[in-house]
Amino acid sequence: MSVAASATGACAHCGLPVPRDITFCCSGCEVVHSVIAQNGLERFYELRGGDAGAAEPARTSGATYAELDDAAFQRLHVTIGADGLARTALYLEDLRCTACVWLVESAPRCVDGVSEIRVDIGRNRADVVWDPMSTSLSSVARYLDRLGHAPHPYRGFAREAQRRKEDRALLVKLGVAGAALGNIMLLAVALYAGLFGGMSSTDTTMFRWISMCVAVPGLGYAATPFFTTAIGALRARRLHLDLPLSIGIVAGLGWGAANVLRGTGEVYFDSIAMLVFLLLVSRWIVLRHQRRASSAAELLLSLTPSRAHRIEGDVTVDVAIEAIVPGDRICVLVGEVVPVDGEVVEGRSALDVGLLTGESNPVEVRPGDAVHAGTANVAGPLVVRASAVGEATRVGKLVSTIEAMSSRKSPIERLVDRIAGRFVAVVTTVAIVTFVVWSLLVSISIGAEHAMALLVVTCPCALALATPLAVTVALGRAARRGVLVKGADALERLATPGVIFVDKTGTLTAGKLAVVSWRGDVDAARLAAAVESGSDHPIARALRTYAPPTRTATNVREELGRGIAGLVDGRLVVVGAPPWVRTTLSIDGRSLPSGVEYWIAELAERGETPIVVAVDGVAVAVAGLADPIRDDAQLAIAELTRLGWRVELLSGDDARVVRRVGGVLGIPIWRCTGHTSPEGKVAAVNAARARGPVVMVGDGVNDAAAMAAATAGIAVSGAAEIAIEAADVYLRSHSIAAIAETIAGARATVATIKRNLRFSLVYNLAAGGLAVVGLIHPLVAAAVMPLSSLTVLASSLRSRAFRSPS
Amino acid sequence: MTTLYLVIPLALLVAGAAVVAFIWVVRSGQLDDVDTPARRILFDDAAPRPRESSTDAR
Repeated sequence: MSVAASATGACAHCGLPVPRDITFCCSGCEVVHSVIAQNGLERFYELRGGDAGAAEPARTSGATYAELDDAAFQRLHVTIGADGLARTALYLEDLRCTACVWLVESAPRCVDGVSEIRVDIGRNRADVVWDPMSTSLSSVARYLDRLGHAPHPYRGFAREAQRRKEDRALLVKLGVAGAALGNIMLLAVALYAGLFGGMSSTDTTMFRWISMCVAVPGLGYAATPFFTTAIGALRARRLHLDLPLSIGIVAGLGWGAANVLRGTGEVYFDSIAMLVFLLLVSRWIVLRHQRRASSAAELLLSLTPSRAHRIEGDVTVDVAIEAIVPGDRICVLVGEVVPVDGEVVEGRSALDVGLLTGESNPVEVRPGDAVHAGTANVAGPLVVRASAVGEATRVGKLVSTIEAMSSRKSPIERLVDRIAGRFVAVVTTVAIVTFVVWSLLVSISIGAEHAMALLVVTCPCALALATPLAVTVALGRAARRGVLVKGADALERLATPGVIFVDKTGTLTAGKLAVVSWRGDVDAARLAAAVESGSDHPIARALRTYAPPTRTATNVREELGRGIAGLVDGRLVVVGAPPWVRTTLSIDGRSLPSGVEYWIAELAERGETPIVVAVDGVAVAVAGLADPIRDDAQLAIAELTRLGWRVELLSGDDARVVRRVGGVLGIPIWRCTGHTSPEGKVAAVNAARARGPVVMVGDGVNDAAAMAAATAGIAVSGAAEIAIEAADVYLRSHSIAAIAETIAGARATVATIKRNLRFSLVYNLAAGGLAVVGLIHPLVAAAVMPLSSLTVLASSLRSRAFRSPS
Repeated sequence: MTTLYLVIPLALLVAGAAVVAFIWVVRSGQLDDVDTPARRILFDDAAPRPRESSTDAR
C-alpha cells in the first residue's frame, strides 16, 4: 500500500530513519547540517560517534533575536569589560554531548567579532564574549540557533551566585577534611605501630598532641554543615540524621582532646576524620545531582517567546515580552508561537495547540476566538489583542501549579530522619546506662571511656551514606542508559505499583500527522503531494513524507481548513476534507462515488482523518491520516502490566482516536479517556491518588501539571521543556520501552537502599554492643567504621538497578 | 626519633600549603564546572577553518 513510507535511509544529521528519497528528517536538521558544512565543522559527526542518545532531530527557531540588541536588555544582562569586549550568559537548548560543546565553542572561528564562547554543559549555559563594534549579540544568537541550540537570556544570576557560594564552601570543607584525614592517618599508623612495637611516652605524647592540633580545628571546621543542620533541627524540634552524626563527631573530638590533655585514655581522631570526609563526599555528590536538576528547571523560562511584534499605529515594532500590557495589539506570523493570551482581531489561521491540550489536529481560529500563549500559528498571520501576559496566561498558571506541587519531601528521607530520632534516644540512654554501670563496677573514668567509645562507634555514618550512595549509583547508571532521574524520591515513588496514566499524542504516538492508510489509486499520492508541496499545513507535510513530490504544481489555490487544488502536468488535482471536495466536484450537490464514500466512512470509523484526492474531477483515492503509534509502545504497555501496573490512556485528543490507539495497544476501552483538558488530567490524577500511587507519562505542557500532581511524572523524549521540568524522570532515548526499565530499576534501587539501611543498623547494634561491654579499642573502631561504610558502598555498586540484562 | 620533631612540622607545613592552594583553586572558580572540561579534552587543537578561507592555507 505504502508508496515510499518504508524507511530505507537515515537523516544525514540526526540519523533517524527517513524514506529513501529524502536526506533529512526535518528542516531543522537540514539547516544545522548546512551550517556545519559551510563552516567546515564536520568533525562534529566524528565527535558524536556512536552516542545514540545524542541523535535527536535538531530544532531551530529561525527567530531574529532582535530583542537581544535592545538597549534595555543590554543594560540588564550585558557587561562591557575594560578591553571593550562585551560579556553575557545564555541558556542553550539541547546541549547533550561532547560534540554539542565542541560545535558551540567553535563559534569564534565562524562568526567574526566573537572572541570566546565557554560552555558549561551541567548548567546548559554558555558564556559569550564578543566585540560589540564588529558584531551584535543577535547575530551570535542567530548563529547558535542555526546550530540547533536555541539561545535564551540567562535570568538566574542571583540564584546562581548564591549556589556557587554554597558549592565552593562545601568543596573547601571537603579539601580541608581530606588533608586532615591524610595527616591524621599517618600519625595514627605511627601510634598503632608504637602500640605493638613499643614507643617512648614522650613520642606518643607528641603524636597525640599533633593529631589533636590537626583534628580539632580541621575537622571542627569541616564538620560545620552537620552542626548547623543539627542545631537548626533541634531549634525547630524536628529530628534529623545530622543530630546523631554531630553527637558522634563532637564526642569523638571532645573526648579525644580531653584525653590528650589528661595524657591518658584513648583517642578516636582517625575514625572521626574518616567519617567526616566520607560524609562530606556523599553530600557533595548529592549536591551535584541537585544542581543539575535545578538548572534544567530554569530552562522552562524559555517556553513562551521572549519577544513580540507589537502594532503601534501602522508599524510593527519588535519588543521584549515584558513590555506588553493587556490591550496591546500583537502580530503573530506563520511559524511563530503566540506570546500572550488574547483574542484574535484580524486574520484567520490554524493553531497547533498540541503543546497546551494534546490535540493532534490544528484548530481553526477567526476574529473573536480566544488564543493562548504557547500555541503555534501554522497557517496565516494573525493580529491578537492581548488579555494576559507572563504569569497570568494559562501556561503561566500551569507553571506555578507545577512549582507548588514539586516541592515535596521524599518519604525515605523522612524515614531516615525518624530512624535517626529513635537512634539518638536509644544511643544516649544506652551511653548513660553504660557510664553508670561501669562507674559503679570499676571507676568513673572507665565508665566515661566506654560511654564515649559507644557514642563514637555508633555514629551512624553508614546510615548517612546508605541512601545517597545507592541513589547516586542508580542515577549514574540510568543516565548512561538515557534515563534522567531527578532524585532519590522519584525512584522511591516509582517502586510501588499503582495506576500509570499515559498521554497519547507525542508519548505513545509520534506526535506528528502521518498517512497511515491509503485507499484507491496509489499513483494519486504523488499528485497529491505535488499540489501540497508549497503548503506548510501538517496534512501537507504528512502527504509529502508519504510520497515525496517529484513534480510541481501550478495555479495552486489553498482554502484554509478545507483543502487545496492545483494543476499537475495539466491535470486538475483536488485534495481536501470530504465535505469540501464534495461541493467542489459536484455543483449540484451529488455525493462522491459510493466506493469513495465507503472508504471515507471506514477510515473515519477507525479514528483516522480522511482526505480525498480527486484527479480531473473524479475522486480516485482516500488517505487516512493519523498520528502513528510508536513501534515499541505495545511492548512497553505489556511490560508495565506484567510489573503490576494498571495502564490507562489519558489524552486531550478526540475520544475515538484515543480508543483506536487503546485498541491497538490492548488497553480496554473503559481505561481510555479522550477530550481531557490539562485541568481535567490533574483532576483524574488527584482522584486516582486517593487510591494509591499514580504515575503520569507525557510529553506536553498539557501533561505537565498532571505530572507534578502525580506521585511521579515521566517525560518522554522530545517533550516540552516544561514537561521535563515537571517530570521526575526524563527519557532521553527514543524508545518508550525505557518506561518499564525505569520502573524496574527504581524497584531494585529501593531494595538496595533498604538493604543498606538494614546493614548499617545491624552494624551499629554490633559495634554498640561491643562498646557497652568495654571491648572496643580505637584500633577496632578505626577498622570497623570505614569497613561499614565500604560495605554499604559495595552493596550499592552490586545493585541490579539499571544494569543491562547481558 | 629527634628528627621527627623537625620533619613532622615540615610535613604539616607542606600539607597546609596544599590546603591553601586548594582553597585558592576553589575560590578562583576552577572547580565550578567539572563536567565540560572532561569533554573538552577530546577536541583537536587544530582549529577547523571555514571553507572559504581554506584555499590560502596551501
